[in-house]
Amino acid sequence: MNTMSILVADDDPVIRRLFEKRLSDEGYDVTVAVDGIEAARLLDVSSYDVVITDLVMPGAIGGIELLNLAKEISIEIEVIVITAHSSVNTAVEAMKKGAVDYLEKPINFDELFLRLEKIAEVKALMKNAGDLREAMNVTENSAAHTIQALEMNNATQQATLDKVEKVLADTSQDDLDRIQVALNLIRQR
Amino acid sequence: MLKISPEEIKLITKYIYEISGIYLDESKKYLLETRLNSIAEEYKCSSYQDFYRKAKADASKKIERKIVDAISTNETLFFRDTGPFQLLQHKILPELIDARAPKSSMLKTNLKIWSAASSTGQELYSVAITLQELLKDTSKYTIKLLGTDISDAAVAQASSGKYNKFEIERGLARDKLTKYFTPMGQTWKVSDELRAMVNFRKFNLMSPFTGIGKFDIIMCRNVAIYFTLEDRKKLFNKIASALEPDGYLIIGSTESLTGVCPRFIPKRHLRSIFYQLK
Repeated sequence: MNTMSILVADDDPVIRRLFEKRLSDEGYDVTVAVDGIEAARLLDVSSYDVVITDLVMPGAIGGIELLNLAKEISIEIEVIVITAHSSVNTAVEAMKKGAVDYLEKPINFDELFLRLEKIAEVKALMKNAGDLREAMNVTENSAAHTIQALEMNNATQQATLDKVEKVLADTSQDDLDRIQVALNLIRQR
Repeated sequence: MLKISPEEIKLITKYIYEISGIYLDESKKYLLETRLNSIAEEYKCSSYQDFYRKAKADASKKIERKIVDAISTNETLFFRDTGPFQLLQHKILPELIDARAPKSSMLKTNLKIWSAASSTGQELYSVAITLQELLKDTSKYTIKLLGTDISDAAVAQASSGKYNKFEIERGLARDKLTKYFTPMGQTWKVSDELRAMVNFRKFNLMSPFTGIGKFDIIMCRNVAIYFTLEDRKKLFNKIASALEPDGYLIIGSTESLTGVCPRFIPKRHLRSIFYQLK
């Protein structure tokens, strides 16, 4: 069962339909956008695990701009860019900017599914690590609370003990007075 | 995976203790095997006895350094446990800035802070960020931020100021991320401004503190837990001597100095504790 939600941005209607069909057949939750502008609007209102985007799209928002936008919203969103064979260099540039991978046209869907599985695995591991960390934090916070209370209490007791010792060791005072002052100190604790 | 015998566990844990002060008891067999295996394979060791001999005989200390890197735990994150950073921001730094205010406006305020087990640097950079946010204009201050760790690999990463997205995602708020870091592909690099504030170097807390100087704040969090009680006593005694008389010590939130160092008294502020000299 694939539970990741994927946003596909491509201005080519044929490719869009192909992505929509193949990805939903695999069980992914797919949303398609006709261009970068629509994709940006969707990113703003919904959350996605993966964005697959064509590098070259009409309008002000191309693949690179969409990549930047997605990473700005959350660095947890993984972006795969689609590129023509001739523009692999641009795809490498996109990876330097934070894209997780690139696909060359024509799309090899088996390859895409493998990459998506890898992304899902990493996300699952991250979630697992996050859960463990959360459990550790809860334990640590609770332990810290107890230890700090004990630490403060111990410091108070120690301070009293020090005072009592000083009073009792002061031979210039009468024995009974010393005992009385020491007792008062212990009672005031 | 190369198996370790009970005798070898004794030998290796004693060796690790000697080179790092990290105390591992015999129950740590699994940890030893999993963390040391790749080094043992790299040096084609036939057994852990052989591994020990090769490490001891290596005059370059390369194997020794690799063992320390592998054994030391570098679990850290930006603003790990928010308590100490709130303590710094709302209590310790404002107090220190008042206490250290120079008599003449021509002079600068000196602040010296030491992250004694800085690991991969996140703690010290978090302190640097806290200072930046609090002071706004740092030109009126001479700030010395020192980070030390026993692991060369950790010190190297801290010095590079580069973090992958998994490291960066942890603990760092979005606004601070964009303000103090620049993306470089899949990694993020700390800003030059922040990088210029800090210094990292290798240091073994078991060694004498000669030449380390005096500090206004020492953070020594979650490292003494790996030491024996005797070594913990020695460590905090040395820390007490490296602290300015009115300085501040911050230890891990689940650590305690009871029975460890009578020179310190704990003080509570908000939900955290810090220590000062008696």
